[in-house]
Amino acid sequence: MTTTPDQINHDLINHDLLRPVARASARFFLVVAMLGLVVLAGLSAWGYQLYSGIGVAGIRRPVFWGFYITNFVFWIGISHAGTLISAILRLANAGWRRPVTRCAEVITVFALCIGAMFPVIHLGRPWVAFWLVPYPNERGLWPNYRSPLVWDFFAINTYLIGSATFLILPIIPDFALCRDKFSGWRKTFYGVLALGWRGTQRQWHRLETAMHIMAIVIIPVAVSVHTIVSWDFAMTPVPIWHSTIFAPYFVAGAIFSGIAALIVAMVFLRHFLHLEEYLPTVCFENLGKLLLLMSLLWVYFVFAERLTIWYGNQPAEVAVLWLTQNGPYRYLFWTMVACNFLIPFPLLAIKKLRTITGIFVASITVVVGMWLERYLIIVPSLSRKFLPYAWGTYRPTWVEITITAATFAAMALLYVVFAKLVPIISIWELKVGMREESESSSSVGAVSRVRPTRSGRGEHETLAGVGFKNSQGVKL
Amino acid sequence: MERRDFLKVTVLTGATAALSGCEKPAQTLVRFIPEEDLVPGVATWKPSVCTICPAGCGLMVRVLPGETEVVRNGKRGTIQMGLAKKLEGNPNHPVNQGKLCARGQAGLQITYHPDRVGTPLKRSGPRGSGAFQPATWEESLSEVVSKLRELQSENRPQSLRFVGGCLRGQRHEVVRKFLSAFGALPAMVFDPLDEPVLRQANLLSFGQAAMPSFDLAHTSYVISFGADFLGTWNSPVAQSVAYGEMRQGRPGNRGKFIQVEQRMSQTGASADEWIAARPGTEGVIALGLAHVILKEKLRPTADTNATRLIAGWSQGLVDYSPEQVERKTGISAQRIERLAREMAAHLPAVAIIGGSPLAHTNGLFSALSVNALNNLLEGVGAPGGMFFTPQPPSENPGGSAEESDFASVLLGGKLDDTKVLLLYNANPVFATPAVWKVREVLDKIPFIVSFGSFVDETSQLADLILPDHSPLESWLHDVPNSGTNQAVVSLAAPVMLPLHDTRAMPDTLLGIAHQLGGEVAKALPWENFEEMLQASMAPLSTAEGIHPPPDAEKFWGKVQEQGGWWSDKVRQPARSAIPQQHVVAEFVLPQFDGEESSFPFHFQPYVSQAFLDGSLAHLPWMQEMPDAISTVMWGTWVEINPRTAQKLGIEQDDLVEVRSRHGKLLAPALVSPGIGFDVVAMPMGQGHENFGRYASGRGANPMAILAPMQVAETGSLAWAATRVQISKVGKAKLASFSGGLFERPPELQHR
Amino acid sequence: MAHRWGMAVDLDRCTGCEACVIACRAENNIPTVGEEQAQKGRAIHWMRVERYYEGEFPDVRVKFQPVLCQQCDNAPCEPVCPTYASYHTNEGLNGQVYNRCIGTRYCANACPYTVRFFNFFNPAWDKPLHLQLNPDVSVRQVGIMEKCTFCVQRIKSAEIRAKEEKRELKDGEPAPACVQTCPPRALVFGDLNDPESEVSRLARSHRGVKLLGELGTQPKVTYLQRNEWNDNNT
Repeated sequence: MTTTPDQINHDLINHDLLRPVARASARFFLVVAMLGLVVLAGLSAWGYQLYSGIGVAGIRRPVFWGFYITNFVFWIGISHAGTLISAILRLANAGWRRPVTRCAEVITVFALCIGAMFPVIHLGRPWVAFWLVPYPNERGLWPNYRSPLVWDFFAINTYLIGSATFLILPIIPDFALCRDKFSGWRKTFYGVLALGWRGTQRQWHRLETAMHIMAIVIIPVAVSVHTIVSWDFAMTPVPIWHSTIFAPYFVAGAIFSGIAALIVAMVFLRHFLHLEEYLPTVCFENLGKLLLLMSLLWVYFVFAERLTIWYGNQPAEVAVLWLTQNGPYRYLFWTMVACNFLIPFPLLAIKKLRTITGIFVASITVVVGMWLERYLIIVPSLSRKFLPYAWGTYRPTWVEITITAATFAAMALLYVVFAKLVPIISIWELKVGMREESESSSSVGAVSRVRPTRSGRGEHETLAGVGFKNSQGVKL
Repeated sequence: MERRDFLKVTVLTGATAALSGCEKPAQTLVRFIPEEDLVPGVATWKPSVCTICPAGCGLMVRVLPGETEVVRNGKRGTIQMGLAKKLEGNPNHPVNQGKLCARGQAGLQITYHPDRVGTPLKRSGPRGSGAFQPATWEESLSEVVSKLRELQSENRPQSLRFVGGCLRGQRHEVVRKFLSAFGALPAMVFDPLDEPVLRQANLLSFGQAAMPSFDLAHTSYVISFGADFLGTWNSPVAQSVAYGEMRQGRPGNRGKFIQVEQRMSQTGASADEWIAARPGTEGVIALGLAHVILKEKLRPTADTNATRLIAGWSQGLVDYSPEQVERKTGISAQRIERLAREMAAHLPAVAIIGGSPLAHTNGLFSALSVNALNNLLEGVGAPGGMFFTPQPPSENPGGSAEESDFASVLLGGKLDDTKVLLLYNANPVFATPAVWKVREVLDKIPFIVSFGSFVDETSQLADLILPDHSPLESWLHDVPNSGTNQAVVSLAAPVMLPLHDTRAMPDTLLGIAHQLGGEVAKALPWENFEEMLQASMAPLSTAEGIHPPPDAEKFWGKVQEQGGWWSDKVRQPARSAIPQQHVVAEFVLPQFDGEESSFPFHFQPYVSQAFLDGSLAHLPWMQEMPDAISTVMWGTWVEINPRTAQKLGIEQDDLVEVRSRHGKLLAPALVSPGIGFDVVAMPMGQGHENFGRYASGRGANPMAILAPMQVAETGSLAWAATRVQISKVGKAKLASFSGGLFERPPELQHR
Repeated sequence: MAHRWGMAVDLDRCTGCEACVIACRAENNIPTVGEEQAQKGRAIHWMRVERYYEGEFPDVRVKFQPVLCQQCDNAPCEPVCPTYASYHTNEGLNGQVYNRCIGTRYCANACPYTVRFFNFFNPAWDKPLHLQLNPDVSVRQVGIMEKCTFCVQRIKSAEIRAKEEKRELKDGEPAPACVQTCPPRALVFGDLNDPESEVSRLARSHRGVKLLGELGTQPKVTYLQRNEWNDNNT
């Protein structure tokens, strides 16, 4: 049987993208073990907290929310990566998104899982957390639907279910591919996960319809999630929290941190799984440009908020503003501004600096900066409320720090394991994309040809020109 | 209820042993017969008396049934009994009129304190080591009796001495009778909360060696020189009740309050005008005001005992013109003039003095000056002024005059002959300057017996501890000396059965007296303190009391029900003969220990809101109460002015060393705007070496570093006369309840 | 007509003695947290006396302000509790249902007066201090928010007693522990629905101010300002 050029390419793609799934190296197990240790440390810290009481954390009167809620908001924010890339770019027909979608959606789902743990971790009595679930009971008690925390419960769960669906549906064809390509226990494993996918026309049609619907639906859900998270703060009469800017500010910040996290993940994947030709520079450049846009948007929100507070001169608000401006939190504040704007801006705006390394550095600082931003929203306002007699400062304890570190390790661990079990780049979508380029390759001179070498790493030409310019007949 | 019944024990051996299934034959569940008339969940209210401070407020105690472990006759078992749950003021008691202060509320924790001595203890190791072992009452009492018999046989009854805190009424009488029948010298008093200088001044000025009372509810103007009368001084609850009336109890008539002190106290916070005067110049201010009143003829000239004591009074106090007062005190002449005119125009007016002004070397002069001022304002014995609480007819009036001050006895070397020392309600090892070496002196006494409920620094030195009941478990009898214009005898039966194997101190003394026999037993013929009280109250049944006197039988029950006997028909007590000493009071500069160059700061210890003189430091509620001014819990602090702190490079929470010529201590710094630039202040009460788990090893004791200065002509400790130096030595952490100091923080004052 | 409980705090009478603080703690089984936890800001004082300085030495003034749960009619702590542990009773109190609280501490953040307190650990009393505990008040476990209840147990028992005796409640009859013990009588408690009650009369006083009233919480505690002394003695 002769092999067509197409088939050769597909084989190569299958080979490259299934390689990580095909076997687990010693390095993989080492990484899993190390990350696992950190996660275990976090779980032990949490166990200690459950046993001794929430007092082992650093929260106190009046700063009743600290690291845990910071992490909660932070991780829920990170989860907005998937929505933007998958859904919005899908709807915008941006072809360069294809290798990136699954990376992004995975971040979404895992970040949501991790973020959603924190409302339970920070509870004083987590063993009755299930009272947030509206279930009929003989006492006739229901959760208080007026509470933003209950809205959180519904919003996050909805988003989680939606994102999980949005993630899993497109994996099915790839599971089928794995089932077909592998043997032994893997064949059975992926056989189960493939849910009987045969690649029929009807099945493809259904899949594409479902994904189209999900893409449309998931966007307002995602926006609502972080809006509702922001309303955890904005619905209370706490100085600076009680602001109408919080909803768009948080959504923008979420997308900002989500893109940054995505870039970080992609850089690691690209390097360790040798996916250079599948995650070409153009992906990073475009993401970098989006990151720049979000950074500017973030600066705009921060400036607008601070200017109006300063100008409005309300004593309680100015007292809190002073804390971050001239007071003990000023170091954190300026670090945050540097991380979110001063460093990323040149790295992303100046074309020469907008390399993958540059974009990576910018993303790391943004992740750090956005974590600081959540902290600086929550803690200074609580430490200085309306009655100065009741002011107090917060200091985290080892329990909170350990659990925070463990969440980063958990994210990495989940990601690494996922990438080991599932092709991290959507194989079928990539193939679809390539076909569409070759069908319109005459127009722009863009080549979708990949010239791999035997080692799998190779020279590659960018898929430039495939992105925003190609708008013909690429239909999901 | 028959008091003897609770001693019956029912022992449920068989069933319990069988049910528990264990092999120990001695496993018995001991259940004592429950107290009668208890209904679960239903509270009864019983009157009692607060003995925490000299005010002597009346209590109502909420008693609810509960089950607890107790010790009876050396046996431990459970019992259903009434448990005191809450203390309130007795609404009918003339002193506090139904109100109760924070310390009084915390008194509940004394009864339930985990570190209470529950059985007699005998020293089992070197003195002061804290090694005690339990003993029985029989052996303990016989040991005491044999030691006393030794003294009797050697004909040295004066080698027995007693040192006690504030004791009044029949509790004081039982001690006095015992000592006097034994042939011992009268008891020594050690009460840091007492004001001997003021009592001496009152004796000289008015013939009454008593603490004054003030009719604040009807006054229009009160000026207080250093007296924390709304906090810890004299009769704070009565004074606070009256203060409330003075302010807002008379529509259209709101009295003015001026406080003169160097450090913003809890009382000073309520003042309309707060005046910081130079230490030791309070008498000058008082006479300055008098000068203006005399000169401008704002009041008729006064010529009384009190005024005759003041040098230059009859000449119009020429040495106290406003300009001279300004020079001496730092208060402007205009202010003196304005205050004097205001005061004279808003009668009735009254002046109060207490606290640190009386603790300078010239304290007596200051007190005499204020007394003269009060005479000038015609406020002595008049509505809105000062007066003396009448004493009930049955009480022995001459009791306290015979007693001596423990400190002067000790310092005069008069304890050298003491062979047996009885201790009650006093902790002189703690609350005295270290330079007095109280511990060393007491150490030389061969036999020390303490009646206390707790092991503190002084009772740690005891050979035998015969623990007292807690106040709620005792028969209480008290005669308040101030705070009311009625003659009051507070009386209360025990509110609770005893929790531990303790005995009331009067009962212990009576028991010892009976065993001793002879004169002592004759002087104290009563079986127990209850009988003694009943006998003492009997004469009052025919005296005019609040309620029409019932027959003598019912009287005893009625008095217990009410919480005491009181009457507003007792005439003012007759004035004691005024000693004919020619005291001529004129201002002399206060002396301070330590030179200004090397010891730049005035050191002001003050009676703390939570612990008073330290006797309440063992109560966790008091440790956790945020001090009203500093808001600090569980700690000590040194108050320093912000400017001073900045100059010395000291920040809030820094650990500083405070050093006098006689000692040093370490404490965290509290930067506070309410204190003078050259003054540092520390609350008394912490710094206990041992006083239970909550107080031991906590904080620092400012009394320890005081210089042995004396108030002239009285011999009292001038505890405000020490100078110190301070320096930063490290970092500490204060448990402050408050965050910001100001409602509008300085950094946010807007242009 | 149903009662509507309110309180008046006369700042001109208050002397900062903190009798109210300790009476409240005794009545309501408030745990003592110890020095370490107090340093970490976890001390519980349902009633506290705030202290503010003005000026600097020697023209320094101090102001005391007893602050307790204001039992707001428009309480920000009520809508935010996810489990309805914080709710409004029909007598106008802000009720806290201890065994419904899951400890999110959202209500504490929402309260502008910072009068809500949290049990960071299980409370403990060294025996036999536990014998003092008031059986009419629950002991709260770890993870539960608590705050002043206007001594609702006293209100309830007074109402029950009045009902048994077939009469109305007298003005001043249910008295919270703080009100009962306050020596200068700075605290007054009563029924705001009774226009003749002392608390209603004081609530109408020209000296009356609501703490943080501009936030719209509609607190039921009226603070009577301490004015400067004037020559007319008024």
